[in-house]
Amino acid sequence: MDTIVAVATPPGRSAIGVIRLSGPQSLDIIRALIRDDKFTPEPNRILLKKIVRPSNEPLDYALVSYFEGPNSFTGEDMVEISCHGSPVILRQLLDLIQSLDARLAGPGEFTLRACRNGKMNLSQAEAIRDLINAQTDAAAVQAARQLRGELSIALQPAKDKLINIIVKLESALEFVEDDLPDVQVKEMTRELAEVRRTIHELASTYSSGHLLREGLKVTIIGRPNVGKSSVFNRLLRLERAIVTEIPGTTRDSITESVSLGGIPIFLTDTAGIRRAGDKIEEIGIERSQRAMADADLLVVVIDGSTGLLPEDLIVLSQAAERRHLIAVNKSDLPEASCIEDQLSDLSPVVHLSALTGEGFENLTTAILAPFATVDTEGVGLLVTDSRHYDLLRRTESSLEGSLVDLRDGSSEELVLVGLHNALRFLGEITGETTTEDILSEIFSTFCIGK
Amino acid sequence: MTMICDELFDVIVVGGGHAGCEAASAAARLGALTALVTLSLDLIGQMSCNPAIGGIAKGHLVREIDALGGIMGRVADRTGIQFRLLNRSRGPAVQSPRAQADRALYRTEMRSTLENTPNLHLRQGMVVDLLVEKGKVVGVVMQDGRRMGSAAVVIAAGTFLNGLVHTGRRTYTAGRAGEPASIELAEALKRLGFPVGRLKTGTPPRLDGRSIDWDAFQSQDGDERPIPFSFSTESIDQAQIKCYIGYTTQTLHETIRKNLHESPLYSGQIKGIGPRYCPSIEDKVVKFADKQRHQLFLEPEGHDTNEVYLNGFSTSLPAAMQQDLVRMIPGLEEARIVRPGYAIEYDYVDPQELGPDLQCHRISGLFHAGQINGTTGYEEAACQGLLAGINAAAFVKGRQALRLRREESYIGVLVDDLIRQGVDEPYRIFTSRAEYRLALRHDNADERLRGYGRDLGLVGDSDWERFHQRRERISKLKAILRGTRLRKSDAAYLAVTETLSMDLGDSISLEDLARRPGINAELVLRLLPRATSGTVTIADLETALADNLYAGYIKAQETVIQRLNHNDATPIPRGLDFRTLNGLSHEMVERLERTRPITFGEARNIPGLTAAALANLYVAANLAPNRP
Repeated sequence: MDTIVAVATPPGRSAIGVIRLSGPQSLDIIRALIRDDKFTPEPNRILLKKIVRPSNEPLDYALVSYFEGPNSFTGEDMVEISCHGSPVILRQLLDLIQSLDARLAGPGEFTLRACRNGKMNLSQAEAIRDLINAQTDAAAVQAARQLRGELSIALQPAKDKLINIIVKLESALEFVEDDLPDVQVKEMTRELAEVRRTIHELASTYSSGHLLREGLKVTIIGRPNVGKSSVFNRLLRLERAIVTEIPGTTRDSITESVSLGGIPIFLTDTAGIRRAGDKIEEIGIERSQRAMADADLLVVVIDGSTGLLPEDLIVLSQAAERRHLIAVNKSDLPEASCIEDQLSDLSPVVHLSALTGEGFENLTTAILAPFATVDTEGVGLLVTDSRHYDLLRRTESSLEGSLVDLRDGSSEELVLVGLHNALRFLGEITGETTTEDILSEIFSTFCIGK
Repeated sequence: MTMICDELFDVIVVGGGHAGCEAASAAARLGALTALVTLSLDLIGQMSCNPAIGGIAKGHLVREIDALGGIMGRVADRTGIQFRLLNRSRGPAVQSPRAQADRALYRTEMRSTLENTPNLHLRQGMVVDLLVEKGKVVGVVMQDGRRMGSAAVVIAAGTFLNGLVHTGRRTYTAGRAGEPASIELAEALKRLGFPVGRLKTGTPPRLDGRSIDWDAFQSQDGDERPIPFSFSTESIDQAQIKCYIGYTTQTLHETIRKNLHESPLYSGQIKGIGPRYCPSIEDKVVKFADKQRHQLFLEPEGHDTNEVYLNGFSTSLPAAMQQDLVRMIPGLEEARIVRPGYAIEYDYVDPQELGPDLQCHRISGLFHAGQINGTTGYEEAACQGLLAGINAAAFVKGRQALRLRREESYIGVLVDDLIRQGVDEPYRIFTSRAEYRLALRHDNADERLRGYGRDLGLVGDSDWERFHQRRERISKLKAILRGTRLRKSDAAYLAVTETLSMDLGDSISLEDLARRPGINAELVLRLLPRATSGTVTIADLETALADNLYAGYIKAQETVIQRLNHNDATPIPRGLDFRTLNGLSHEMVERLERTRPITFGEARNIPGLTAAALANLYVAANLAPNRP
């Protein structure tokens, strides 16, 4: 077994960054890092150590803990190094450790090792995944549905049709001496295209399903003093469940997590954007722009009582290329002029008052509208799992290959290759087979080192 | 050995059918002193049902048997009277050779092949019991009281175990019509604790050829260029005959439906499960009632006989009624039945009792091959016989057992299916049972298996040399296909594009061209450079083209299967006690113990094993300290 390494903390700048090692070389590697061949730490204790570059310059002062297998998370010898949370330092340390014969861990590999070493079984691993990922009620409902096999049930008709086609082609091959009806290529092509469409439609729910699982990043922008923070706070108050403050954000913008209509929303309030007057403001604006770049949706706040100002137009021009909607705030005050008439923008416009709360229901609907193509709390089944999505896509492309073979007049055994592959992929979802890959893929849904 | 025996052998093979013949021949040629014990030496190699060898997937098995050094292919080539390559219009992987054989000649040829095998001794008699000491087989007991000692026994008893023949309401015990059943041996197996089930099969009436109006039927010729089963056969020397195709009528269907109460199948008299893919005529007209007519084949049984096999008309209706029914078939108005059809029920032993070497888990040195394992078909029986014979000899000599994998052979697919899943109807091979169908072609069986045959010692020098020459010719041919381009300026270009109705650009290599649907070996042969085309045989070219055609598909499929199953190769430690695994239900433990999977992939394929059980097993397999 080789030794694996990964950064255990989320990417980005933070106070500390943790690097985790697991495998028989763990202790040797830390010895090399701190230039102490005899270093034999007591397990489960935290020690402050100087980490040295190959050039002999110090890289960082870090807290080092050693966990002796089998009494560790993975069941192997493990070392955790908590250094300062600079991405540069973490990157350099990671490179250094890799040069000492450790391998960068694959997704979920720490958990896989824990499972291999009997520290965890599959059901526990799945339970952990669901626990971690069920961020909102709606996501929990979807997770429970998939556990109950609703995706399998939804796939069943398509699977049956596929099996039916396979049966026809197989029997044409196997029972050549029997008096079987000829394969009707045209009809089969139509049936197969239908199966492919079903799979495709189910796969297309992934963007909505994915949303349920991963959440939606919404960033509020606007020139200063239009009431961005009031809108932000009002949105947070809409739902009793304010989950957590998201760590690692800058002081200039604040991100909170909230559930809107059952969808987890990461709501970011940014510094006001205007033409930069001085250096410091420039930096703040730059950060706002970065927050904009990450967002799935921008909410541009405009003060309805003042009407459109040139600075609003700057903000709108910056948002133009991205998915956005316009919130005209302060509807409790008389509107200066009809904002809609002045906008060349075709994005949705919502009138609201952060003060009275008027119009926030419309805002919620408008935020979710472009994403929630399917009623997330209703009956529609959504594909939320990236593994399922991947398998559906592969099923679809296998079926496409078979359709091409059918069109080209290839012999049945070639058409069948794609059909059997499609069935294998579907079988992975309907849960009829379990493979190492499924295990690995399940573990892949964990963050590394969690 | 503590008991006194009349004769001593290394290996005793019980049964002289297709499994028994291969088993005895292989064991003897591998240096084991071998006895083949059969009820009648005159019926060695008897084709109990239709007089034909091969067919889709079955033909693959025969070629694999031949590649390993078995005898069925050679005997069939010497006695075949109509050769046809089936599925010619389809891709090479699903084409399969089939031959009608002269039933009597086949028997004679098989017997003389065995009689000319050193180390092999034929004995007539009925085996009634097995001698077992401390979980090891040590010999057999004969009906006449003789005891024969041996370190290994292969049981290849066919339909004889507790055989019960049905025609109408009449039943009688028999192994085949006119031959005694093996009642005591069947009881002995039960006594030894083997789980025994009941299967059923059937056979149609045989007609007197002189009473058939042949002109009423559509004739079917064999191939002009017969493709032999054996890689060693250079020419097919038997005179070739025609077969004939006819049809049933609605009146016939009506009559059968009216008389179903006479059929033991429908009266509840037959308990055994018959094969769905080989239904009796009663089943056909009941289950496919809307079908206007059913196809029948008239297959002459040989050069020197008037007997004709009425393929497609398997029945267990009363003999007198069969005569009436046959006469309702156009062209058979005057036909006389020589032997009536019948159904037969027989015992089989759950093949999940066996390891991949076909040895019983329960009793070491005891091997089962053929219908006793729930299979049907001569080819299915023969390949098991070969494997059992090879492994019985290996067992006696202390050599490593031969084990064939699914991805390298149909034999591997068949054995794996049997021992993993058992059977609930007579098991027949199909190409669709093979995940790697495209790689398992009848024409590359030598490439896949010759090496094993050679290593075992079943493939002689001249066959080995022949294999190497063919291999070299094909590899040269592939280089030529890659290097030769068909250009716009070539005379043949226009004709080829017209055939394909497709633009081929300025030039295309023959390798790429040959992958297009509609291009066959004959056409490619004409496009080869003049210097080479004269020396190339169609057979070699077809193999080269088939390799070329499927290479991309096989690779893509491997990627898919590996993506899904890349952990399948993880070994499961031999001594692993499944009961010690966390959280495994009693039922899961039982399933695992019955199958004794050697790899995680095998475990994954055990029906009914839950994902959680597999996850636990997977962890255990990875935890095993003695992992390589």
